Amino acid sequence: MLPVSATTPESAALETEVLLVQRLRDRDEGAMTIFYDKYSAALYGVILRIVKKEETAEDVLQEAMVKIWHSFPSYDAEKGRLFTWVMNVCRNLAIDKIRSRQYRVGSRTQPIEESAALRQAAEPSFRPEHIGLQEMTNQLNPEQRQIVDLLYFGGFTQSEVAEELNLPLGTVKTRARAAIKVLSKLIR
Amino acid sequence: MNIQEYIESGILEEYALGVLSEAERAEVERVVREHPEVSRELQQILNGLDAYAEAHAVTPPEGMRERVLQGWQQAIRNTAGQEILIQTADAPVATPLMTASVTPMQPVPAAPEQQGAVVRQMPAAQEAPSRLKWLIAASVALLLLSGLGNYLLYSRLQETEANLEVAQTAQSRYAATQQAALNERDQQLAVLRNADFRAVELKGTPKSPEALARVYYNPKTKAVYVDVRNLPAPPSGKQYQLWALDNGKPVDAGMLATTTAAGDSIQQMKDIDSAQAFAMTVEDAGGVASPTMSTLTVIGNL
Repeated sequence: MLPVSATTPESAALETEVLLVQRLRDRDEGAMTIFYDKYSAALYGVILRIVKKEETAEDVLQEAMVKIWHSFPSYDAEKGRLFTWVMNVCRNLAIDKIRSRQYRVGSRTQPIEESAALRQAAEPSFRPEHIGLQEMTNQLNPEQRQIVDLLYFGGFTQSEVAEELNLPLGTVKTRARAAIKVLSKLIR
Repeated sequence: MNIQEYIESGILEEYALGVLSEAERAEVERVVREHPEVSRELQQILNGLDAYAEAHAVTPPEGMRERVLQGWQQAIRNTAGQEILIQTADAPVATPLMTASVTPMQPVPAAPEQQGAVVRQMPAAQEAPSRLKWLIAASVALLLLSGLGNYLLYSRLQETEANLEVAQTAQSRYAATQQAALNERDQQLAVLRNADFRAVELKGTPKSPEALARVYYNPKTKAVYVDVRNLPAPPSGKQYQLWALDNGKPVDAGMLATTTAAGDSIQQMKDIDSAQAFAMTVEDAGGVASPTMSTLTVIGNL
């Protein structure tokens, strides 16, 4: 990323994030609107990728925002970005949702809606500086991508992935590590 | 510890994916705290996964922003009282480094169920959710009532069907009986209407003056029918026997069935070649070869 002025997009983003964290810590309800505008597309996209149904994804996002608001005093900015933290809240709630028996039974009866949600394309203009999904996944080989997706979006453990793909646990671990390394190198 | 080897081991990637056990996670966090180099490496890895997540961004549907923000606001208003308690309860926990909530990959401490509950904002006014609640309650009540009604109607239907089946069986049995009886009567009527039949009045002897019976005799076909009007009930073990008198000689014309003797039906008797008179005696059940004259009850001439 090339710095175009004294403030790089990165530092500007960091600045808004620090401000946002401060407002949330002050229990400023208006900050949640800014939070929504900043993160909803990414959070919604990942939740939708996990739960597959738009209506459920919306419910999970709202549930996650309530949880984020209530748990915010325990967020420590020094330990990681706000985005990482809130993404994990959303991911965990979404995975809990698909693991609930009720959801599995319900989703089996709605294959059409499910496929409609899957067809929904990623929004390329979400953040001008972010690397596109196509570009990222092109860097992963299909085996690596499959494993990252099962672990990150499917809520599978490594043992479950090994069982699902009929692979030795060691191979799953190796591929998962390699895949994450590829992803983290892409943005350095 | 060889930091480079630790980084190369891939455990940080596993940490970032959230696939480590509690103990492994705690160990990684300890190393991260002690070695800034490892911490930097972990941050790179987390940024990589974050970017991957961001790459999946999808523009939310129309109207979702208002729904979600209003739903969120309503949910936190509903639990505003509880929140104070949670904040005070969380405050001391937030300070130590190793708590679940301060590390990026840990799930947020479980909030009470109510806080996590999704509140869907209705487009109408404030009372809408309570109206919805009433509607739902009413729907459920209606559904239950309808279910109960269906059950009652169904069991009543079952009962009715069973009754109908019984009635139909009884009716068809009755119809069959009646048809057989009718056929018999038709036959008898045809017989009696035949001009060749001669009716013979058998009148009571002085021993039983009230007794009265009628015999229909067809000399051409030799057929004999008996129709009892009034006969004293025979003693038990006894039966009325009909005799034809041909030139003064008694010929057995058969035994009267109990129903015939009671006057319930006309009975066809044995064929008789020739007769000038008919008579009835009371004999042992099954009949005898020659009449017991002392029990002569009715008699009549052609």
